[in-house]
Amino acid sequence: MSIYSNGGVFNLAYHDSETLEIDKRSSSKTHSNPYARETPAWWGQRSGVSGAAARGAPQDGWQRESWRGGESIPMGHIPTDSGRPPWQHSINHSTFLVDHDSQFVQSPSVRLPSALAGNMSMRWRGMTMRRMSLFPHAHPAHAAFTEEVVQSEMENEEKNLVKELVAMSMQDQTRAIRALPMSFEEKKHIRNQVLALKSSNRSKKFTLLAEFSENASLSLRRCGYGVKSAKQTLELWQGIMKEIGGKFGSSVLTYFLFLKWLLMINIFSFLVNFGFITIPLLVHEPSPKVPSNVKFRGLEFLTGAGYFNYTVMYYGGYSNETVGVSVEYDMQLAYFFTIAVYMVMCGLVLIFSMASSFKKNYVLADPSSNGAWQLLCSWDFSITNERAVRQRRSNLRVQLKESLSEKAQRELLTLSEKLKDFGVHLGCWVLSTSLAVGCGAGIFFLCQHEQQRVSDSGSWSPAQEAETLLVPFVVSLMNLVIPLLYSLFNKFEHYSSQRKQIYALVVRNVGLRMSILGVLCYYWMNVVSQSFSCWESMVGQALYRLVIFDFIFLMLGSFFGEFLSKVIGTKLQPNLGLPEFDVARNVLELIYGQTLAWIGIYFAPLLPAIQILKFLILFYIKKVSLTQNCQPPRRTGRAAQMQTIFIFLLFFPFFVGALSIVAYTAWSLTPSEQCGPFRGLNNTFSAVGVWIDHLEDIPGSDWVVWIYQNVIRSEIFYFLITIIILVIMYIFWQITQGRKKLISLLRQQIVNEGKDKTFLLDKLQNLQKSQPKNAKQRKQKGHQSLGSQSNSSAVVQALLARQQLEEEDERQSTSVSSPSDVSTSSALIQATMARQRAEHLPHTAIEPPSNHDALARAMEARQRAENEERNEYYSTDFSEIQTNRPSAVAQAMEARQRSEREGGLQQGPSSTQNPAPSGPSALIQAMLARQQAQNEYDDGY
Amino acid sequence: MGTTASQLGKDLLSEYQELTFLTKQEILLAHKRFTELLPKEEKNLPDTRVPMERILTLPELKSNPFSKRICNVFSTSERKDGSLSFEDFLDLLSAFSDSATLEIKSHYAFRIFDFDDDGTLDYGDLEKLVNCLTGETEETRLNGDEMRQLINNILEESDIDKDGTVNLSEFQHVISRSPDFVSSFKIVL
Repeated sequence: MSIYSNGGVFNLAYHDSETLEIDKRSSSKTHSNPYARETPAWWGQRSGVSGAAARGAPQDGWQRESWRGGESIPMGHIPTDSGRPPWQHSINHSTFLVDHDSQFVQSPSVRLPSALAGNMSMRWRGMTMRRMSLFPHAHPAHAAFTEEVVQSEMENEEKNLVKELVAMSMQDQTRAIRALPMSFEEKKHIRNQVLALKSSNRSKKFTLLAEFSENASLSLRRCGYGVKSAKQTLELWQGIMKEIGGKFGSSVLTYFLFLKWLLMINIFSFLVNFGFITIPLLVHEPSPKVPSNVKFRGLEFLTGAGYFNYTVMYYGGYSNETVGVSVEYDMQLAYFFTIAVYMVMCGLVLIFSMASSFKKNYVLADPSSNGAWQLLCSWDFSITNERAVRQRRSNLRVQLKESLSEKAQRELLTLSEKLKDFGVHLGCWVLSTSLAVGCGAGIFFLCQHEQQRVSDSGSWSPAQEAETLLVPFVVSLMNLVIPLLYSLFNKFEHYSSQRKQIYALVVRNVGLRMSILGVLCYYWMNVVSQSFSCWESMVGQALYRLVIFDFIFLMLGSFFGEFLSKVIGTKLQPNLGLPEFDVARNVLELIYGQTLAWIGIYFAPLLPAIQILKFLILFYIKKVSLTQNCQPPRRTGRAAQMQTIFIFLLFFPFFVGALSIVAYTAWSLTPSEQCGPFRGLNNTFSAVGVWIDHLEDIPGSDWVVWIYQNVIRSEIFYFLITIIILVIMYIFWQITQGRKKLISLLRQQIVNEGKDKTFLLDKLQNLQKSQPKNAKQRKQKGHQSLGSQSNSSAVVQALLARQQLEEEDERQSTSVSSPSDVSTSSALIQATMARQRAEHLPHTAIEPPSNHDALARAMEARQRAENEERNEYYSTDFSEIQTNRPSAVAQAMEARQRSEREGGLQQGPSSTQNPAPSGPSALIQAMLARQQAQNEYDDGY
Repeated sequence: MGTTASQLGKDLLSEYQELTFLTKQEILLAHKRFTELLPKEEKNLPDTRVPMERILTLPELKSNPFSKRICNVFSTSERKDGSLSFEDFLDLLSAFSDSATLEIKSHYAFRIFDFDDDGTLDYGDLEKLVNCLTGETEETRLNGDEMRQLINNILEESDIDKDGTVNLSEFQHVISRSPDFVSSFKIVL
């Protein structure tokens, strides 16, 4: 902290400096709102645009004055993007006054091709930023004059904006106007201007086609709005989501959003399966072929066995025939391709949502800025409930206090404490891993035991059927109890951050579920597939039971987990309080359920239907349980990051696992002989081979055969694909590394600039102290226009000049300086903000030179000016517009010229050119020059 | 709904849709809620303003600790009394809607947190912000030491140019790295 405090914080001048500062006002401001709200006043005046020229003689005067000779400046290399040099406005301005229309029409073609969308928004930001700083606390005496300058400046800005907008396509334009951070009225105004300009442009080159495309785009847009509205009306559970978000905040809401997302996936999957597999079969043979001795008993709902076994619920219920009366419909191919396409699509959806979520929530997120985040962006504006607000406030307070004390404590950990922590962690990990392994082993033996009891006959007695419930019961029980144990372990462990704690918990839970599912899959693939005649249906049944039991236990879990702990928390142990909704645990349960559904898609194609019902009921149960039993979470974790983790988990071990199980089944296992669409084949995939063989006889389908032979079945193809992907990955990785380096460099640069600034300010203050003469005079503070550059040398220079001018200002204040601006955006953090101020100052001109050559000449010019100034005691109003010339020589020349002119006109301490060279050596020289000027000034005075 | 639709008019409605991030339903709902806030005799007058006190009776804003700041920021009233016209109200909802860009959201968030309207978040602003977040009463406040430490921590993290204040670009930098912001900076009618 000490380093930081020693910086510019206590240096008042620092706050008036320019680099990153937008604006800093003293408390005695005349405009209470610095933002762009003063505008209506000048809209009224815009009707008389040309009137602005004649408005004030002094204004006119300084403009002409400053542009005397300015027309010859080459404009070719002017940067057209965000970094506009300060004088470009003035050029626009002066030409604009002369020839309004031509400027308007031709200008976009010059500027806009380079204006990309990102660039634009950057620029607008800079512009609105400047706009909001356009209203400093002007001295009352000169307020009127300043306002005129400001107005004309803002008109310019607006003109530029409108010009940019006109050149855009209609859609971009609407979007861009909508995204302007301005009030509605202003946006409307801008839009009207754009439209007016567009129509005036068009009237010159009116074509029927343009008219037509205009109308078409308009109606298309209207149509788009309609679709958007309709989509919103159809949005599921909108009111409930709002209620939950309002009471519990967005982190709990992520659970429900996730649930809804999974529901959508299942609905899609159900529609696909039902539409392409089940309906054709049902059309072919509407009633299932159930043996006469099998009756519907009701127990089927739990076990999925018995009667269900002969329906389209399971793999066994489908035939291998080519069905259909008029059109041939190959069930084998339909079954294979439907499931393959569904799995691929799920994978794509997951990958895309995962990637975008990663990009948004991880790459940009910075783990180090925790405290700032907590304050600046943690408030959930969607919370509307009074009690929730209170609770959240107190939670936040506790959290803030904790984080403060944690920060203080962290350094105090001794070695023995660290060792102890490590030991506890190790113990917990060993314990939880062995628990997971133990569960897996237990399930395996249980499955073997079950397999010995169950016969391969078609019909089971009710007792036999009920026995099959043992395995899913135990599995679900483990899934319910073991995570609770894990949470208990977590209480004993000490983690440096909450996030690590959650991650540890999540990893352990995932390990448990993976080991259970892994064992089950191994059992199905290796044991069941050998010992049953229609083994796919058996696996389907087992999955059905698991899904049902998972559902029952989820309900029980929310009853026991939440309702009971509420009762305990309110009645028995009031210090425990209401339970919190554990988002991580609940989401993992959802993920587990979804994995079962994915594995089951091959064995029981209608399992998604069960899943849909399950999720629908679960949504309402969880909602009721949440609102009745729980309180908002105490800690506001980073919900978006957790969501990313969940999607990642859903994809990586779970979806990939399910996919590989299904793929293994399809490629390597022999389908059962007596049932299912693939009976009689070596493996499922050979259905495609048979189809290709069949295709070879049909002319015109050679390309399909070719693809099959040379792409699908060739190792070289996969080898090449893999190589290419690896190369691309490597290149991207390298790019990322480079960018990382760049970011850290840029960051360092900003910090260095800050340091430069404080150093210089200290120096300046020391200098000031050594000459305290002026300090006792009137405290009328003057601001002046400054052209700032992101370059640190510019800062130096600007500061020096400012200081000097402030001193001078104490004696004279009759005139106004021209506003100017440079908005230079540095690549990443927009290191410099453009700023403008209108002020009252006698004579100012600060010239940021760009070349070393300028130094000598400028110095000379300055010297001379000062010498001459000493003799003059008559004051004249004189203003200079600040310029920035591309050529250093030209600049120096102008500086000299100007100082000569000034010399003839002015009283004592007048404007001083203070150009300093860029580069570190500039500093010393500039300082020396300043000192010298001061000395001379004192003498003269 | 039918009556409100006819009140707003098709052209006006499409203009609102074009200039805000709101959908038709949202605009109509906003209009309904807004007219409910108006006293009877003013209902049919154009360009009426609802005073801040009435706006704050909306359940969506009632318990929000920043509600007054929100009104002040979005108000275009000349008297700076925080009263909102319907268009201001739409502006507010648009900035807080789901589809608003991060840029808009962070811009308005900055202005809401900038209590003294001076264009930067300085120590005083941050102190007020912390008080708003933790509660304003004596016992809920952080004490002086904690406050100082906290604000110094914030400045250390977010004040890149080390000038003792957080300006808009620095604020946006922090926001851009906090993906939760978009979802939490949200008010839905």
